[in-house]
Amino acid sequence: MLPRRLGLFGLLAPAGLLLAVLFVYPLANMAALSVRSKFPGPFTYTGEHYAKFVAEPYFLRVAETTFALALVVTLLTIVLGYPVAYYFVRSRSRYKHWIFLGVISPLLVSIVVRTIGWTIVLGNEGLVNNLLRGLHLTHDPLPLMNNFASVTVGMVHVLLPFMILSIASVLGKIDPALEESAAILGANPVKTFWRVTLPLSMQGIAAGSVLVFCLTIGAYITPWWLGRGKVLLFSTTIYDQILVIIDWPFGSAAAMLLVAATLLIVAVYFALIRRVDAR
Amino acid sequence: MRADRILGWYVAALLFFLALPILVVIPAAFAPESTLGFPPHGFSLKWFQNVVRQPQFLRAFYVSVFVAIVSTALSLATGTLAAFALVRYRFPGRQLLELAFVAPLVFPAIVYGIAMLMVLNPLRLTRTVLGLVLAHVVLALPYVLRTVGATLHGVNRQLEESAAILGANRWRTFRHVTFPLIRPGLIAGATFSLIISFDEFTVALFLTGPGLMTLPLEIYNYTEFTIDPTIAAISTVLIVISVTVIMAIERFLGFEKHFKI
Repeated sequence: MLPRRLGLFGLLAPAGLLLAVLFVYPLANMAALSVRSKFPGPFTYTGEHYAKFVAEPYFLRVAETTFALALVVTLLTIVLGYPVAYYFVRSRSRYKHWIFLGVISPLLVSIVVRTIGWTIVLGNEGLVNNLLRGLHLTHDPLPLMNNFASVTVGMVHVLLPFMILSIASVLGKIDPALEESAAILGANPVKTFWRVTLPLSMQGIAAGSVLVFCLTIGAYITPWWLGRGKVLLFSTTIYDQILVIIDWPFGSAAAMLLVAATLLIVAVYFALIRRVDAR
Repeated sequence: MRADRILGWYVAALLFFLALPILVVIPAAFAPESTLGFPPHGFSLKWFQNVVRQPQFLRAFYVSVFVAIVSTALSLATGTLAAFALVRYRFPGRQLLELAFVAPLVFPAIVYGIAMLMVLNPLRLTRTVLGLVLAHVVLALPYVLRTVGATLHGVNRQLEESAAILGANRWRTFRHVTFPLIRPGLIAGATFSLIISFDEFTVALFLTGPGLMTLPLEIYNYTEFTIDPTIAAISTVLIVISVTVIMAIERFLGFEKHFKI
């Protein structure tokens, strides 16, 4: 049917055009820049920028820190978030929707508020240090800011909502009768959890993990603010290469590697989902 | 049961952790001393006066609001049309397209900001409102698609068919049947879009500069030189704005139903 086709095209065209011109084209342009030997200048193909990234121990260390951070943040959000998702799905509390608002509250306040808030909590004159001094546990302030731990706290805080909601959406679909059956058949609550609830909620954990991991390796501003140049990550390196050292081709190559890592994780996730669905 | 009680307390503790940075900002803004800390040793409004005395904050606020409204209008219009196509039509490549539309969601913002800088720089569109709007439209699009798409899925097509049988043309059917049914999704999408744009930092970092600053960038610049309770005072103002918006939405919509990620 021609009119139907035309209708479909008309509906998709505006957003499709925006996406093509403002997303796909800029990225293609950047990919081209990353294999260019000289910029500006005539185009000659080279793989040297990628080779440079892999050859320099400095950049490898940066990549290592980034993935370590992403792994730690992902594991922490799972462990800290799972019980909350469980409580949220199962509870019949009157306060349920306040709990929901509380869970997504980090996403509702400005990134500026969040990072300044953590500065106030962790800084030398901050809540934690004043508390420790007040209790005479320490004399000098502990250096809680500008390190791997403070960046981790900031990232876990802002990404917990994503993990909790991912897990909760899957937990909500599990038929409570399955858990009851396990209990009737003699499984204690711990065993029911390990053998029934947890395996059934794996998909939510997986989806949340992909989201959290990808958002962590790509994060720039929270690590910058809470790390203040002491925690060097993929994203901070790309920033330096582009705006400080102004080596656009090399910066682009580093950026493409970050994109490749993100795409790879998402692709693996979708492949796994396919296999699970096929079973 | 004991286990339930423990779980309840745990959830309360975690919610406290999530709210903590917000809870400490407000008292810190009223502190008389000039170091940013907690608890404050007294009460003073001088940091709020300091905010008002710096015209760049207000200017940046207007820029942020303007960019947020324009980019929301654009992403809502184009995103709603695309959501109709993706939900109502079956065509080859639909799933791939759906994936492409939500890609900006997990895409590293810093990479996107740089890619946009490289394209907009030769066109002399960096440090312009237009450049910022174009970037923010793309970032907001996935949220609009998700929220509008989700409500559209829930629309009973029979209602539309009934309207058509009763003689309504396509426009009237949309105006009086479909539109009221997807309105919650539109409002949720618009809200997300406004928040994303207003709070966007990383991409704006590359597209702003002297002459054009958004509010988050202006605050960031301020902290490069001084870290004092002024930024806590601005944060307090931002919290008040957020809470007002949330209360309004909660009142008219109910949050949980329409805010899925």
